[in-house]
Parts: sequence; structure tokens; C-alpha cells
Amino acid sequence: MALDVYITGMGIVSGIGIGVDQTLVSLREQKSGIQPLKHLQTIHDLPCAEVDLSEDQMRELLNISADEVVTRTALMAMLATREALQQARLTMDGTYRVAFIHGTTVGGMEKSEVYYFDFLQNDLHNEFIEAHDCGACTEKIADYFGGFSFVSTPSTACSSAANACILGANLLEAGIVDIAVVGGSECITKFHLNGFKSLMILDSQPCRPFDETRAGLNLGEGAAFIVMESKAHAAKRGVAPLCRLSGYGNACDAYHQTASSPEGQGAFLAMNAALEMSNLQPADVSYINAHGTGTPNNDESEGQAIVRVFGNNPPHVSSTKSLTGHTTSAAGGVEAVISILALQHKFVPANCNFTTQMQSLPFTPVINVLHDIPVQHVLSNSFGFGGNNTSLIFSNVQ
Amino acid sequence: MNSKPIYINGLGSISIQQPLSFEGIQQPLSYQTPHVRCVEPNYKDFFDAVQARRLSKIIKRAIVTAKQAVDDSGISMPDAIVTGTGLGCVEDTEKFLDAMIRNEEKFLQPTFFIQSTHNTISSQIAIHMNCKGYNNTYIHRGVSFENALLDAYLLFQRGTIRTALVTGNDEMTPNYFILLGRIGYWKQAIQNTRTCITQEQSNGSFAGEGSVSIMFSDTPSSKSYACLNRMSLLYKPVKPMQQIIREFVADCGLNIDDIDVCMTGMNADIENDAVYNSVLQDLFSPNAIGTYKHICGEYYTSLSYGMLLSAYCIQQGIVPAHCILGGVEKSGVKHILLYNHFRNRDHSLMLLSTC
Repeated sequence: MALDVYITGMGIVSGIGIGVDQTLVSLREQKSGIQPLKHLQTIHDLPCAEVDLSEDQMRELLNISADEVVTRTALMAMLATREALQQARLTMDGTYRVAFIHGTTVGGMEKSEVYYFDFLQNDLHNEFIEAHDCGACTEKIADYFGGFSFVSTPSTACSSAANACILGANLLEAGIVDIAVVGGSECITKFHLNGFKSLMILDSQPCRPFDETRAGLNLGEGAAFIVMESKAHAAKRGVAPLCRLSGYGNACDAYHQTASSPEGQGAFLAMNAALEMSNLQPADVSYINAHGTGTPNNDESEGQAIVRVFGNNPPHVSSTKSLTGHTTSAAGGVEAVISILALQHKFVPANCNFTTQMQSLPFTPVINVLHDIPVQHVLSNSFGFGGNNTSLIFSNVQ
Repeated sequence: MNSKPIYINGLGSISIQQPLSFEGIQQPLSYQTPHVRCVEPNYKDFFDAVQARRLSKIIKRAIVTAKQAVDDSGISMPDAIVTGTGLGCVEDTEKFLDAMIRNEEKFLQPTFFIQSTHNTISSQIAIHMNCKGYNNTYIHRGVSFENALLDAYLLFQRGTIRTALVTGNDEMTPNYFILLGRIGYWKQAIQNTRTCITQEQSNGSFAGEGSVSIMFSDTPSSKSYACLNRMSLLYKPVKPMQQIIREFVADCGLNIDDIDVCMTGMNADIENDAVYNSVLQDLFSPNAIGTYKHICGEYYTSLSYGMLLSAYCIQQGIVPAHCILGGVEKSGVKHILLYNHFRNRDHSLMLLSTC
């Protein structure tokens, strides 16, 4: 059964820009956000793509006072959600039943990792105990706007935001809500920076997805949300859709907690399921926005899965994590927005830093931005720890 | 929305009661402490020595109850696995966090980080079953379990899946018990957990933990305990909850009088229970209001235990007296309405009926 899910607004903050306009410029000009760390306090000297705003600056943009307990993850999400609601011309006044679905994993860890021993020993920072909770973070964001009748927090590590899109689509199809605002948000924390480092999957250089010399990922942070509704509902509100979500697929690699299977079985199943729901053939896809973390394991596994689905000569493939870094739980949202921009503005973003062809793969990623080319359907992959693999397909509405 | 019922065909639980058994529903153990840990089964029966050592408690519990529910249902492989967990893998998160702070970000081993993300539970179940189907995890405070169930329910309604394993998992470590105690979650002391809801109304509840796995199918079987007719999740509802409950029951084609028991998340916390009392007082008599947290304790996904208990009671046709606020056993039970709220912000309604 074809999905009746249309996107009428989007918002984003990431290492490559605050807002959709800056993001588009960075994508077109291949401006990477991967830089030495500036906001996170850590002993590690690792390149990351931070959102270039302090929490104070975000508070000012959002008109939130300094004494209100809000985490960086929530602040970024509020900025992105505000932009998405504005573009969708949606006022949260209770006219519609609106869901807010926020994929995240670290929640308030950025404060917990600072105050953890205080939490155990004294009452100095009790307000951040509650804020540690991912669901509390979701409600904080929803309450900033008010008027949401449904809230939820999917958490599947690096595919969290992509799975938020699936729940949103299913809620709309079931008629439970009129509009779903879906996406994800995650700030860089010492906790997961050190976690990824202990797994030895962080590159000390800018990451090189799908490159023979790739040596790991760079962390990024950000938030991105899209507004979804049915075609008829968008028409009734007088809002022109940007594109549609034509299909999704979710499968579990069921192989290893932090490694993907060599043949990319979960990725293969997720991409196939998304194509099937979209009623598309592999050849119909114009561009694959790959998960493409830049780790030896992911790109090999995902690459093999792409070949299994699309053959030796797949559509254009790029990993925009070479620009945004890996925004973990937000990645599915960040890359949904990038996919939609590619559809709208008829370009394919680049897979930066590529120099050396992978010997095991027959295809080469897009090295330089392809301007002015028809982009009809974009497949976006998001894969999480534990083999939580999700693929989304966004399609033009013309 | 039109909704198709889905059937509960398999159950598994590890809780603060006897593991992998319904004994706790008949004759619950009672405790005199506000922090009660699970009664663990013998994991040697389920894991080899390496696995048993490597996997954290919450993962072991989840894998074992998942296996029990799947075996109970007679279905070998679910089409989907969806987990609700309020806090995820707290024990390993704490271990990694503690080491990171103490060692100032040096000399860290990845083991605890690997098992720290919330979705480890659902994915480890999948790895152990080799289940490559749909897999998802929800972490939303006191309504995490019903978020997971709703996700599966919508896939059933679309016809995407025919079976699903839905689980609720939370652990309460000594440290997290301290943290939540600081912000008013727990009583200082408790005389008797079994009777605390009627006898010890005060600030705070008592902490439990547990793993509950439930196998759902789109078709009934000889094993079916009950069916889930309809469910609804609400955030900060604008309409009064009484009205919402009346409408929900009407949408199920029933009258309020048809509901044998309204099973609530009362937990002996005066503020929490007052919400149920004020919503339900004009709808149900004390002999039609049920409780389960005196058996399993308070934790973010304790509703999963409430659902297991309700499904079992529907199959038996009886809700035992200790689960009824008015203290009178309810027999001939056909319909149980599960009503859960978290801080009077998040609310959920689910109707379980005989098949």
C-alpha cells in the first residue's frame, strides 16, 4: 500500500550551518563542518563537526532564560523544530492533532557526565537528574512550542531519527494524528566520544567514506526535523509539499552489537523493503545518501549491500557525513533534510575527501557536487549499533 | 481509526516475583524495603559461561523472557521485535561513565560502552534469535512500554507484520535508585509492599525492576491469553480524562459497565494515585479498580507487567482480591481496561478482552 505522507516543512542545525539556507550553501560549495573541537571540554584532540553556537547563543535565539534547565540537545532540537514549523506554516494552536517524535540516545548525558558524582553525593544539581532522561528531553522540546497531542522517543542509536520518520508515517496512515513533526537531535558528549574512541573507530583526520584509506568516523552533532502530513491535509491547509516519503524499510542485521555483517544483510533487507513499499525499481533511484560513516566495517558492509540491491553500477552514492560528521541519533533527520534539498534543488551532494577507490567495491562515490541533474527519488540509509538498519525513500511530487 | 484486534499468544517475565512463572500474580512475595531487585532465574540454564559473564543482567533477563514468550506462543520467529525501556542499560552506562570520570577519559575499554545504548536490549534479543525482521526501541519515561506496543500495533494495522515480540525492560541499580530518590521517587521506608497501595499512601513509591516479553499475533490460537482490542496514547490531553475514557470504551463498542476491571498504575505515591482516583471515581467502584504495582514495584516499564498480569487474569477469568482496590476478588472477567499515566502528562488506554 503506497504511503500518503508528504513533507511540508523542514529545519536543521548542524556543523555545516544553522538553518536550511546555510546548509544548502555548504552542501553546494562542499564546505565541511569538521574542525578541531571548540565547545566540548575533553582531553581528546579529534576533529568533529560541532554546531557553531554556544548554549548561551542558542538560548538567546530561542528567548530562553539562563536559569531554565535545558540541555544542548534540546536547544538544538528547538531551533530545528522552530524552522520546520515555520516553513510548514504551522501554528501550534490546537487546531490539529500533531505528533512530536524525537529520536535521541544520549539525552541529557552532556550534563550527567559533568555532575554524575554530585548526583550520587549531594543535591547541588538535582535538576539535571530529570534532564538526563531522553523522554524528558522530548517533552521539554514539545512544551517549548506547546500544543502537541502525542510525543514519543524512539532510540536505536544512529538510526533513531530515521525510525522517528517511520512512526510518524504510521501514525498519519492510521489517522491517529493530522500532522507529525519527526526527526532527531544529539549533541556531542564526552561519553560517546570516548565510547567511539575506545572502539577505535574515530579517525584523527577528516573522515573518508567509501575510500580505501578510510580509518574511521568523525563525530558531528545537530538536530533536524521534518513536518509530515497527508496530501489532502497539506492541500486543505494550503501548504505546498516539498516532496513525499514514498517508502521505508526497517530490518535488523542481527549479527553483532557494534559491527555490521560482511554482506550487509540488514542493510540489504532495509533497502529492499523501502523500494518495495515505494513500488520502485532499483533503477528508479537517482541518488543514495549513504550511511557511510567512514569506518572500515560500515562502508564495506553497506557497499556490498548496495551492490546486492542495485548491481555493480548503482545510482549516485555519497556520504554527507564527510561534511556534517556523524550526527549519531540525529543523522536520519539531518540526512532526510539533505535528501530533500537534493530533490528540490536538483543536485547531488559530494562525498568529500575521497582519493582512493575501494578495491572490494565496483562503484565510486560522487566526488564533486553534481549540479543541475534530475533527482527524482533519493534513498537515505541510517544504520545503528545492534544492526538497527533503516532506509527511507523521498520522492519528488511533480 | 478502525482497529483490528491483536492476540496475546505468549508471555514471559522476570520480576521481583518468582521468575518465569505466574506465581507472583496468585501469591505475591512482599518486601519491607523501597528498593527491590529481581529474583533471577538460573542463567546457567540459558547461557554458556562466557555469555553469562559477558552479558549484563538486563540483557540476560530480556533474552530469557523473550525466549519464554516465543516458546509459549509456539511461533518460532517473530516478524518484529520492539522494546520499551525507560532507562535502558543503566548498569553498563554507569560503569563506562564512572570509569571515564575517574580515569579522566583515559584507558577506557569499549565493553561497557557497547552495551550502554538503550537499543542493545532489542538488538541482543534479535541477535540471539537470529531475527532479521523489524526492530525498534522506545524510551519515553513512564509510557515507554506502550510506545513500543503502539509501534507494533500500527504495523499490525497496516498488515506489515503478522507477529511481534513486544518487551518492557528496566533495571534499577543502587546508584540510579539514589539519583531518583533525590527527586522524590521513593519512600524512605515501607512496611509491606503487598498492601502499601491501600495502607501506606505517602510521598514516593517503592522501586522494582523487571523484564516482560509478550508475543502478539494477528490470529488467535489455542494459547491465546487475551486480545488487545484498541489502544490510545495521549500527551497532555485537553479534554477531561473521564470523557476520553468514556469515548475510548464506546469506540470499543462497550459501555463502562462492561469493563470488569480498570487496571491502574497506582503505586502508593499520594500524588500519582490521586490522579487515578479523581479520574476514575465517577466511572468505576473500588471493586472495579485494579492495581499491579504492589506486585512488581514502580519502574518506567512496569505497565508491561500490568499487561502480562491482565492477560493472564483474562485467561483465568479471575482477578485476585489483592489486585482489586476494594479487596474483593473479581470473577467472570472478560474486559480489562489498562489505564496508565505518568505525572498526569502522558496517558495511555488499552483494552484487553477475552478472545
